[in-house]
Amino acid sequence: MAAVHDHDIAHAHDHHPTGLMRWLTSTNHKDIGTMYLWFSFIMFLTGGVMALTIRAELFQPGIQIVNPEFFNQLTTLHGLVMIFGAIMPAFVGFANWQVPMMIGAPDMAFARMNNWSFWLLPPAALLLLGSFFAPGGAPAGGWTIYPPLSVQMGMGMDMTIFAIHIMGASSIMGSINIITTILNMRAPGMTLMKMPLFVWTWLITAYLLVLVMPVLAGAVTMLLTDRNFGTNFFNAAGGGDPVMFQHIFWFFGHPEVYIMILPAFGIVSEIIPTFARKPLFGYSSMVYATASIAILSCIVWAHHMFTAGMPVTGQLFFMYATMLIAVPTGVKVFNWTATMWRGSMTFETPMLFAIGFIFLFTLGGFSGVVCAIVPIDIQVQDTYYVIAHFHYVLVSGALFAIFGGAYYWLPKWTGHMYDETLGKWHFWLSMFFFNLTFFVQHFLGLAGMPRRIPDYALQFADFNMISSIGAFGFGLSQLLFLYVVLKCIRGGAKASAEVWEGGKTLEWTLPSPAPYHSFETPPVIR
Amino acid sequence: MKEDNKQQPRGKFLQIAKAVFWAFFGVRKQSDLDSDASSLTPAQVIIGGLIGAALFVMTLVLVVKIVT
Repeated sequence: MAAVHDHDIAHAHDHHPTGLMRWLTSTNHKDIGTMYLWFSFIMFLTGGVMALTIRAELFQPGIQIVNPEFFNQLTTLHGLVMIFGAIMPAFVGFANWQVPMMIGAPDMAFARMNNWSFWLLPPAALLLLGSFFAPGGAPAGGWTIYPPLSVQMGMGMDMTIFAIHIMGASSIMGSINIITTILNMRAPGMTLMKMPLFVWTWLITAYLLVLVMPVLAGAVTMLLTDRNFGTNFFNAAGGGDPVMFQHIFWFFGHPEVYIMILPAFGIVSEIIPTFARKPLFGYSSMVYATASIAILSCIVWAHHMFTAGMPVTGQLFFMYATMLIAVPTGVKVFNWTATMWRGSMTFETPMLFAIGFIFLFTLGGFSGVVCAIVPIDIQVQDTYYVIAHFHYVLVSGALFAIFGGAYYWLPKWTGHMYDETLGKWHFWLSMFFFNLTFFVQHFLGLAGMPRRIPDYALQFADFNMISSIGAFGFGLSQLLFLYVVLKCIRGGAKASAEVWEGGKTLEWTLPSPAPYHSFETPPVIR
Repeated sequence: MKEDNKQQPRGKFLQIAKAVFWAFFGVRKQSDLDSDASSLTPAQVIIGGLIGAALFVMTLVLVVKIVT
């Protein structure tokens, strides 16, 4: 793919408000992308502090630091904040910055709606975090907000429900914007099958979001009316069914897992070819595999509920369907590996995070297949094995891809190279402490330690201590990332337009930093 | 080239079925992809995908029925 452009940075039409109004009223995809990314980083640190409080409490057996009620609120809010506040907005931030630049468009299709999608998030975050201060505290029944607990809690639960509504509306608007931008604003000559893989994965993710976010909104609305208006959707005493909530929730929840990983696949699929200096192996297979994963993700939801009460027919169906997802996912892992095969590889920080992603995400994928097997799942459900599994896919999967993407595109965004030495330190510290934190949790789970408990039996003490040390190391390592980013924004070696010699997508044809309006004249795609 | 698009309905159906099958597996040969891209419309592939998903679910249900 090659492009011709005649952009003159000095000629850019940068008529926009400055100061606070620039950010409040912005309709620019780069400004909004930046706000999404900072928002997600702040929420990442917030959810991280909750995680560290949890790990501090679990450092030793016994109750030392927080009382059990507050502990439960922390586990619940840690999950909600990380999923809805950190991971999802980070990927939308990447989409805002990168999708228009990668398809040769000047901006997103609905620029004002883009502003609204972002500015819905801070109030939602305030509602979510404000629930700690409501009578009865924040929700404490786990991030899945299962009834009957969620029907019985204080008004913190109502605040969370409204926060979920608002964040859902934001996600739907963001998705509509991304779909419209990708389908209508591609540069002449860029057919669907010439789009960069990051754009493809986001297109499919956006469709998934539009499909399942209303389902979550419906579930929490029914919860709201059960709580406040006397309905009995989930109240067995009134003829309702609490397990129905679990079905509806996970019909959203499982595709949500893929919403959080498909854009990560996209980022990794951009990084690996650049640093292997080879085109992506099996591009069309990657597109097909992404679509296939998205479809399969909608028919496996009840594997989260094997122990909730289900006929054996249902258990087998969901077990088989879940195990089959490993096929297209395996295709992706093989394709990334084949892309690196005999490539002229260099190992800058983005590549390190991408390789770390492949290694650890595959591990998380395998423990997922283990959990998919019904008789094993009945043993490990609600244990630390499951905690270890989903942190391998969401931290070393989604989060590592976010870090890789941030280092990959930072020079394009800021116009400066980041500090490579510190970036590598960030990677290796994250890699070491991540595994120290979560690998031992597999053993804890297999030995039977339940999740969501503030105290535990003595035989779990050693692994918990190791895990807590790892967690503090991991948390502190992320401050290094903050330092590297701030240093990069403030200055550093000037980045060239191309930045990486192997980068072939359109954003590398723009100057660094990218001009305020990306492509005022569409590039020509050969 | 326009002549190529006037395939027999049966040939077309088979091509959609093949495209959907390989999509579910996650692998597609470049030459086959090129012929898909030139002769199939997105609507055809999406409808084919939905039918494929329904067939996939029914096959799984059948397998489950047989083993239980």
